[in-house]
Amino acid sequence: MAAWQFLAIHYCFRHHNPEIIFKESFDRIPDLEFNPIRSKIVRAFFDKRNLRQAPNGLADEINFEDFLTIMSYFRPIEMNMDEEQLDHFRKEKLKFLFHMYDSDNDGKISLLEYRKVVEELLSRNPHLEKESARSIADGAMMEAASICVGQMEPDQVYEGITFEDFLKMWQGIDIDTKMHVRFLNMEPIAHCH
Amino acid sequence: MQPPTGPALASAPESSAGAAPGSQLLRWQWREVQAPCLVAGWILVASLAKIVFQLSRKVTSVVPESCLLILLGLGLGGIVLAIAKRAEYQLEPSLFFLFLLPPIVLDSGYFMPSRLFFDNLGAILTYAVIGTLWNSFTTGAALWGVKQAGLMDKGVEAGLMDFLLFGSLISAVDPVAVLAVFEEVHINETLFIIVFGESLLNDAVTVVLYKVFNSFVEMGPVHVQATDYLKGVASFFVVSLGGAAVGLLFAFLLALITRFTKRVRIIEPLFVFLLAYMAYLAAEMVSLSSILAVTFCGICCKKYVEANISRKSRTTVKYTMKTLASSSETVIFMFLGISAVDTSKWAWDTALVLGTLLFILLFRAVGVILQTWVLNCFRLTPLDRIDQVVMSYGGLRGAVAFALVILLDGAKVRAKDYFVATTIVVVFFTVLVQGLTIKPLVKWLKVKRSDHHKPTLNEELHEHAFDHILAAVEDVVGHHGYRYWRDKWEQFDKRYLSQLLMRKSAYRLKDEIWDVYCKLNIRDAISFVDQGGHVLSASRLTLPSMPRRTSLSESSVTNLLRESGSGACLDLQVIDTVRSRRDKEDAVMHHMLCGSLYKPRRRYKASYSRHFISPSTQERQDKEIFQQNMKRRLETFKSTKHNVCSAKSKARLKKDGRKKQKKSVANTELPNGKPPRSVTWQQKAAAVLVAVDSDNEESDSSETEKEDDEGIIFIARAADEILQGKKASGGIRNKSLGTQLLRLAAWTSAQAHASSPLRPPQPRRTCPGRVTGATSLFTSPQKPPKLCQSTCKPRGSKASPRWRVSPHPPGLSQAHVPRRWLAQRRRKGSSRRDR
Repeated sequence: MAAWQFLAIHYCFRHHNPEIIFKESFDRIPDLEFNPIRSKIVRAFFDKRNLRQAPNGLADEINFEDFLTIMSYFRPIEMNMDEEQLDHFRKEKLKFLFHMYDSDNDGKISLLEYRKVVEELLSRNPHLEKESARSIADGAMMEAASICVGQMEPDQVYEGITFEDFLKMWQGIDIDTKMHVRFLNMEPIAHCH
Repeated sequence: MQPPTGPALASAPESSAGAAPGSQLLRWQWREVQAPCLVAGWILVASLAKIVFQLSRKVTSVVPESCLLILLGLGLGGIVLAIAKRAEYQLEPSLFFLFLLPPIVLDSGYFMPSRLFFDNLGAILTYAVIGTLWNSFTTGAALWGVKQAGLMDKGVEAGLMDFLLFGSLISAVDPVAVLAVFEEVHINETLFIIVFGESLLNDAVTVVLYKVFNSFVEMGPVHVQATDYLKGVASFFVVSLGGAAVGLLFAFLLALITRFTKRVRIIEPLFVFLLAYMAYLAAEMVSLSSILAVTFCGICCKKYVEANISRKSRTTVKYTMKTLASSSETVIFMFLGISAVDTSKWAWDTALVLGTLLFILLFRAVGVILQTWVLNCFRLTPLDRIDQVVMSYGGLRGAVAFALVILLDGAKVRAKDYFVATTIVVVFFTVLVQGLTIKPLVKWLKVKRSDHHKPTLNEELHEHAFDHILAAVEDVVGHHGYRYWRDKWEQFDKRYLSQLLMRKSAYRLKDEIWDVYCKLNIRDAISFVDQGGHVLSASRLTLPSMPRRTSLSESSVTNLLRESGSGACLDLQVIDTVRSRRDKEDAVMHHMLCGSLYKPRRRYKASYSRHFISPSTQERQDKEIFQQNMKRRLETFKSTKHNVCSAKSKARLKKDGRKKQKKSVANTELPNGKPPRSVTWQQKAAAVLVAVDSDNEESDSSETEKEDDEGIIFIARAADEILQGKKASGGIRNKSLGTQLLRLAAWTSAQAHASSPLRPPQPRRTCPGRVTGATSLFTSPQKPPKLCQSTCKPRGSKASPRWRVSPHPPGLSQAHVPRRWLAQRRRKGSSRRDR
């Protein structure tokens, strides 16, 4: 992150709250209101796994360093990164998404968790009922099972998507453009005034 | 007229045979049919040539088709020249711009991956506008420099303006050529969309530059004033933005019109073509950029049009568009070859030709590198060196340049003949040499190829999640970037535009995730029917008496399906493992009978309508088989989805199946062996309930663990099959019963759903609480009679009209099974809950 971006974000951060952010501060952001998976995203900001803190669970508040840690998940790739770094980078980004899905911290996205996510994703469409969201989640789960396990024995059980499976599903899919934010101009500062 | 086109000649006399006047039996009327005949003949020749090319895989894998077509054109042109002693045919600019170009542009606009296009719009616009400006000015100026240096022939009478004019027409990358070559190369999408988008959008720049310089040349350089330059700059904005605006306007109209075509399905596809063509002509009429107009019309209307028109119309639009575009492209390349033979227009100047070739390659490379350097400061994914090489090498010139140079006024632009020759050489060089070498180059440079994978549901879900996360992050930071605006646009679109432009029925179900889900479902179902057709058809299935029967074990069908690569087929094993072998035999026989024994009830309506296509019997039959398969699949899918691959299901269900078998022997024949038509509904309803009870009894007494699924599967299947059977036997009077049964099934499965979230997805071996799970819900003392009542309610009662609503929700096509079925089921389920 360039220095001025850092400053800009810092400025914004200060504006939101002098020292630390509580969950409630996110409620005050008007644009966020329409986001269907708002609660999940806000949660991700306070998730200790994302904050790289040892115990699992939710933090009550985050300070500026934590905020930057979260922001660092959205760094764009640099030109001079080698393969290993890129791979690590990619994994980090996917981990963020994975943690968002895996709400009970057990390292697996269970069917129920997946259903919740899909329901929330579809919640902006009033015409799709929960039932269809559910069947979509189920279909996705089955697809995941078929991708990750392949040929399953009749009595085999697929318990949930582990992170390894998650990576497997993302194999071959280009996420280079999908998980980046580039703060191009000094607009944040203007906005924060 | 002595065209070498045999078919055209042969068909001529026949077409005139009918119109013979009095004394003459036959009259030669070649003149009357000459023009259309020639057109048809040429298209036929080109299409036949395509077949011939495709015969040899070896050749087409190395040489792009466009090259072959150009060579063919050269050959044909040579033959015509040899026979007629003069070149008869050439690519007429008016023909090209009015008829050949629009289909290609429409096709590329309509099928443009819009998300990718708008994600890369910044880069595309930069290359299209600045790149083209840079190319034309530098090429023109450099050529003028060569001329000034005295390297060119004296015959090339051209000043700075002439060279700039030439530069403007020669520097534009051609969409037709780019598409033809790059389609076979399969580079990654981003790179493709940048090169191709550039070739489409640079039209505005080319048109403006061409017109401006043309008028300058005609006025004479001396009379050009400062205001004219300003006008030129202004006209660029007018032409490009105006063209895009015309396109948007027509896209809006088109979307609006297709909203109201419900009753005229048969001409629905026509509107797409007509309106798009009108957009092209309208833009051309007021000398705006017509290519931009059609491109934007195609990109913007697609979402709404696709949602509005029927599935068949969608297919029609797709195929017609592809056919038109492909044949136009073929004809264009062939005529490029033919036109090149016409030496009367040629005037060769080596310095001009070589200079042009050198400069367009050089300046394109320089331009690309400079622009990429700037762009990479802004792009999320930088374009690396290899991308730049491909981009600069992929700048192919084509028919647009040729048509523009032919359009030049020879009296005003004195060096026209030289320019024509140079253009032909440039076009041939880029299409033949660069087109031939780009594939090995891409391979050699190891350019990232596009990965052709089918969209998966997970991918779609994750992508949406990403979009929302990024929009949220931008919101949190308070940065209004691209994603912020896209999010805002999507909200606006959802709230206003879609409501205005989409049918209610279409709008209701419009959701990308849902769409993908439906598409995948249909794909799976089709592959299932493809495979399942074998499973259920006689060829695959040995008769019960044969010993081989045993080899059709539980896993075989599932394995078959898995091998076919269908994603969500996992649940299918339930179908196969549910039943004991005997039971399955019954089921298979039943399906065989049900699939093939239902024709007599069809009554042919001896009606023919030009406005409506009535599905043929075969088609109907196929559809019904498809529907049945689909229904069965979905139903199993729905009722077993909580336990993805239940460990116990196999053994348990087997037992169950045997049990059912017994039961079904007892009360007529039950779930799978479909009852004959004479069976009354009371019997069936009773059978259903009896079976449920028996399930319960057994589960109470013998089984340690009992999942509620079986009963539900069972009821759902029974009800469904009964419904199906009734429908099939054409008994409308029984429909309400069937619907009620279905309702019952839906309700029970809804109960199952209600209880299922509490259960972890993996089945448990022993779970005492399970016995009194959902099973007891509908076998508890009060409930069954109530249900039975509602099921057996006489037709005249209050409720039944409500249930007798047509089983197809409005606006959903018949063949759209999963959605329709789900909707139907959902409705029943929810209505039941309301009561």
